[in-house]
Amino acid sequence: MADKPKEQHQQEPQQSVFGKALGIGFTGGILWSALGVFTYYFHFSELSAASFLFRSYLQTDWTGTWLAEVLAVLIVGVISLVSAMLYYFTLKKQQGIWPGLVFGLVLWAVVFFVLTPLFPAIPTFTEMTSDTWVTTACLFILYGVFIGYSISYEYEEFNQSAN
Amino acid sequence: MPTDTNTPIVMKLDQNRRFMQDRIGVDQSFDIGFRTLHILDKEVNVYYVTGLCETPIIVELMRQLFEIGTETNEKKTVFQRIKNDIPHQQVEAVDSMETCITQLLSGLIVIFIDGETEALIVDVRSYPGRTPEEPDTEKVIRGSRDGYTENIIENTALTRRRIRDERLRNEIMQVGERSKTDICISYIQDVADPGLVERLKKEIQSIDVDGLSMADKTLEEYIVHQGYTPFPLVRYTERPDVAASHLFEGHVIVMVDTSPSVIITPTTYFHHVQHAEEFRQSPIVGTFVRWVRFFGILSSVFLLPLWILFVMQPDLLPEALSFIGPNEESTIPVVIQILIADLGLEMLRIAAIHTPTPLSTAMGLIAAVLIGQIAIDVGMFVPEVILYVAVSAIGSYATPSYELSIANKMSRVTLVILVAILGVKGFMIGMAFYILLLARIRSLNTPYLWPFLPFNAKAASQIVLRMSMPMLKVRPSITNPQNNQRQK
Repeated sequence: MADKPKEQHQQEPQQSVFGKALGIGFTGGILWSALGVFTYYFHFSELSAASFLFRSYLQTDWTGTWLAEVLAVLIVGVISLVSAMLYYFTLKKQQGIWPGLVFGLVLWAVVFFVLTPLFPAIPTFTEMTSDTWVTTACLFILYGVFIGYSISYEYEEFNQSAN
Repeated sequence: MPTDTNTPIVMKLDQNRRFMQDRIGVDQSFDIGFRTLHILDKEVNVYYVTGLCETPIIVELMRQLFEIGTETNEKKTVFQRIKNDIPHQQVEAVDSMETCITQLLSGLIVIFIDGETEALIVDVRSYPGRTPEEPDTEKVIRGSRDGYTENIIENTALTRRRIRDERLRNEIMQVGERSKTDICISYIQDVADPGLVERLKKEIQSIDVDGLSMADKTLEEYIVHQGYTPFPLVRYTERPDVAASHLFEGHVIVMVDTSPSVIITPTTYFHHVQHAEEFRQSPIVGTFVRWVRFFGILSSVFLLPLWILFVMQPDLLPEALSFIGPNEESTIPVVIQILIADLGLEMLRIAAIHTPTPLSTAMGLIAAVLIGQIAIDVGMFVPEVILYVAVSAIGSYATPSYELSIANKMSRVTLVILVAILGVKGFMIGMAFYILLLARIRSLNTPYLWPFLPFNAKAASQIVLRMSMPMLKVRPSITNPQNNQRQK
């Protein structure tokens, strides 16, 4: 809201909030997957973004390096645009942090139960340690709240200023 | 403050005097002064509170009254003459006994004249107090050294000196059935959110309590509905320059008489991690200082839980960091050592607040040499415990907001206990809870973790980087400013 006087917002209303939602999605993806790298480095979790995106398909040593982690974080940022859009089109009118929390949990369930066949390097759910479950679930919840709360707040703010 | 009854002043001076006697016990309280004068054959009663008026002014006033008494050749009534001849800029005629009493107890002189239904009130108050000096908690290397004092009039003057804008509003109201504490709401009329101003006024007016003894803190508890949150929901400052810069951003300032701290609303978590010093340095240096500070605050919360996690499960550590963790075995579990050391440090801090300076040097020596060193020598603590507890304590002291540092300390102890019970899961769940609980807080309808959660790119970049003034073209959106443009 801070970037332009509010009158200018009203000319291209939807796009403005939508553009912000995309920005939020990108930042959220980068931020929480970077924290995911941290938890991977300290063995809280057996998985990082690179495990999904690189180690599932490429067998070279390169996939274990820092560069791979950084690239994976950036790619998650881009993928995260999709989930931000998803949230924007379905749940943006919900207020508070709870919808985002549920959204994050659902995303986590989708990634770990539905999409696992796509990633050969990811062990099945029961093969993972319980620490991995909890760590990844917490990260997804925080990510979901970040996306959800931010988008719905922007939407609410916009509606208030339009009225 | 609406008074319950409204007793008119009557023509008979005796009756007024009896009323005053009943209500404020003129001959029982020694600090209430009373004098009867005769001026032009009329009886005149003068009331004042000895400690709250300046004697030379009272003497001068009386001398003037006596001079009136020596000249009889005018047609005006005594009342008119006194009102006209009192050499003071603030003279007011009132007709209600209750107003007289309130004003008298605020330090004004009240003059009753026989045969009149109005009394004269002269504002000669002068409150005991100190001159502005640099606040202890918010020192800067360069920049202004004045700070708010306990006197609300001086405080509004200190703000006014920085904002000579005709649109700066200082609205005063009185709260407290018995204390009648003055409260001032300051805001810039065409910038601040009128909804917030209204809301604050309504909250303050609805307070019905006998007294605000802890001044600003008591008021804060009424306006933000703290509940069980340990985190500070408003920011305090004792620096007029900090208050002024927040007024320009569209914040609303609440001052309470008898306290040098003013309340800045609305507040988020990130208002508590900034300091005036950052704005006195060049933007890059300010950014550097701020990052170091953020690192300190982060480590004050997460360093100890993380370390205890690595001590409990050394296999979590990557190869390069495997030196972390105690080398020797100890009899007491490390978690207990940490809790003892952390609580001990807290005890030391609490003790240091009310220990007189000569004794506190001795206390520091005892704490450092005797307790720290000898606890290690006798094998009670491993040296690393002392190191990490000390680092996170320094992190706490690097937190600009005293209230936030203590709330973070509580979070840290909770996290340590969670980690001790649940290991990695405890750490992750604890961290998620810390963030989510903070995000859930709304202080005066403002999300507490804004601009991080909900995320606002522009404002977040201003938190991460200390921007230079010419780049700050608009006010932060969190205050809902009516007028967004700071500069062209």
